[in-house]
Amino acid sequence: MSKSAAKNVGYIAEYMVLVVTIIVVWIVMGSTGHLNPVIMPSPGKVGNTIVSLVASGELWENLAVSVLRVLQGYLLAAVLGIVLGILIGLSHHLDRLTALLIQLIKPIPPIAWIPLVILWFGIGESGKIFLIFLGGFFTILINVIDGIRQTDVKLIEVSKSMETPFLKHIFLMVIPSAAPNIFTGLRTGLSSCWMCVVAAELVSSTTGLGYLIMNARQFGKTDVVIVGMLTIGIIGKIMDSLLRLAEKRVIRWK
Amino acid sequence: MQNHEKEQDYISVQGLHKYFIQRDSEKLQILEDINFGVKKGEVICIVGSSGCGKSTLLRAICGLDTEHSGTVTIDGEEVTGPNRHRGMVFQEHRLFPWLTVAQNVGYVLQGLSKEEKREKVQKYIDLVGLHGFEKSYPRELSGGMAQRAGIARALVNKPSVLFLDEPFGALDAFTKISMQKELKRIQKKSDTTMLLVTHDIDEAVYLADRIIVMSERPGKIRRIVPVELTGHRDRNSYEFVAIRKIIYNEFFDESNGE
Ligand SMILES: Nc1ncnc2c1ncn2[C@@H]1O[C@H](COP(=O)(O)OP(=O)(O)OP(=O)(O)O)[C@@H](O)[C@H]1O
Ligand SMILES: [Mg+2]
Repeated sequence: MSKSAAKNVGYIAEYMVLVVTIIVVWIVMGSTGHLNPVIMPSPGKVGNTIVSLVASGELWENLAVSVLRVLQGYLLAAVLGIVLGILIGLSHHLDRLTALLIQLIKPIPPIAWIPLVILWFGIGESGKIFLIFLGGFFTILINVIDGIRQTDVKLIEVSKSMETPFLKHIFLMVIPSAAPNIFTGLRTGLSSCWMCVVAAELVSSTTGLGYLIMNARQFGKTDVVIVGMLTIGIIGKIMDSLLRLAEKRVIRWK
Repeated sequence: MQNHEKEQDYISVQGLHKYFIQRDSEKLQILEDINFGVKKGEVICIVGSSGCGKSTLLRAICGLDTEHSGTVTIDGEEVTGPNRHRGMVFQEHRLFPWLTVAQNVGYVLQGLSKEEKREKVQKYIDLVGLHGFEKSYPRELSGGMAQRAGIARALVNKPSVLFLDEPFGALDAFTKISMQKELKRIQKKSDTTMLLVTHDIDEAVYLADRIIVMSERPGKIRRIVPVELTGHRDRNSYEFVAIRKIIYNEFFDESNGE
């Protein structure tokens, strides 16, 4: 018991080494005057800014707006990505039909879509949600298709030889088999969605973390920029951890 | 040979040839002109050396592989694919890793109430000696336990024909003998027609009504040996040993010594 606790402390310590080192270097450079405060604020300044942004509610407001956008776009991407991925993964016909199109659209970065999206959707919420959707959709789709493809043919044979009804075959055989890939898609898709929300908010928004960062830049407030960046990193990490947790619960057989 | 009896054959294999196309697109003949019939309730064991085409033959008969020439009929109907009333125990256990033992065993059952299903599943899990492992995942089982779960899965739907591909290959000698007994008891009780592939001559003599001995490259039926033992089969009885010797001699020339 105490042995494993000691081990855990060891792991956490190891885990923190790099982060602590970076902060220490940052503090030392700041206090020895090696940092130009306009370009890179000291950790103390950033700390103060966090406190004031939290106190004024500004951070929460923008965070909430961005999280809501991400969740909407992401959910759409996840549902469509999984459903279409399963259909395409199962049907060679659909696969042939869509493969080229997917391969053509996938490498286009969502930022390149922004001009069109503004024309199509205006600068309202729906355009931003569409961009976030685009960011996550293809990653999820492709992982799901791959997962379905990799189903062990020997196990498919077993299910088929039992004349399993279609829906049972899908839910008890195909989806569980692809579950690890589906989760990989869901996790990488989520981080793509975060990248897109910031891009969307940089261009046309008066709310959200992307806006917070862009607005601060115009006034030279690098401390706010850094706080915004850190917030995105932390919230992204938290959401990813939640997904990992869900994955562990769902995939109990590994 | 016995044309009038052909009519009665429950399973009939006629003129079966099977090729595999190799990488260099050359044809490799695996099975050559396989002909035999199986009566309802009969137990046939197929023995032959590794790679001679036993699994391939079994797959062709149960309908998992229909790319062959010749015909296979079961109960008068040509086999065009697998069917859930025919049980299959694969050489590898082929359990679904994401389902528990109980879920794996119950996978084939359809249209039963929860309670009926649970009872059936439990019955066959107990039968193969996996009581207490109902909620285990396949990775938590030993090779022999997984294979037994695979046998329970094949039995649970009370198949009219059972195909078994080296079902006891991964079992220790003791478990193996008790599983052979159990299989024989089930087979007798439900009059299941059975085709079983094995490497184990003793197993074949113990279980079979007739033993098909295969030769290799290409796989052909070298000989069909009837096992005319009535009642309990004592593995050490004179008659048992005599048949074992016949099969043994098909593989190893006596004059070679051992
Ligand atoms: N899908 C395949 N494609 C090409 N060749 C195959 C394929 N499956 C089997 N073979 C070949 O067919 C031959 C017979 O294989 P099979 O699995 O039927 O042997 P077996 O008698 O069951 O052997 P074992 O006792 O080792 O299981 C082998 O030489 C193998 O290389
Ligand atoms: Mg084999």
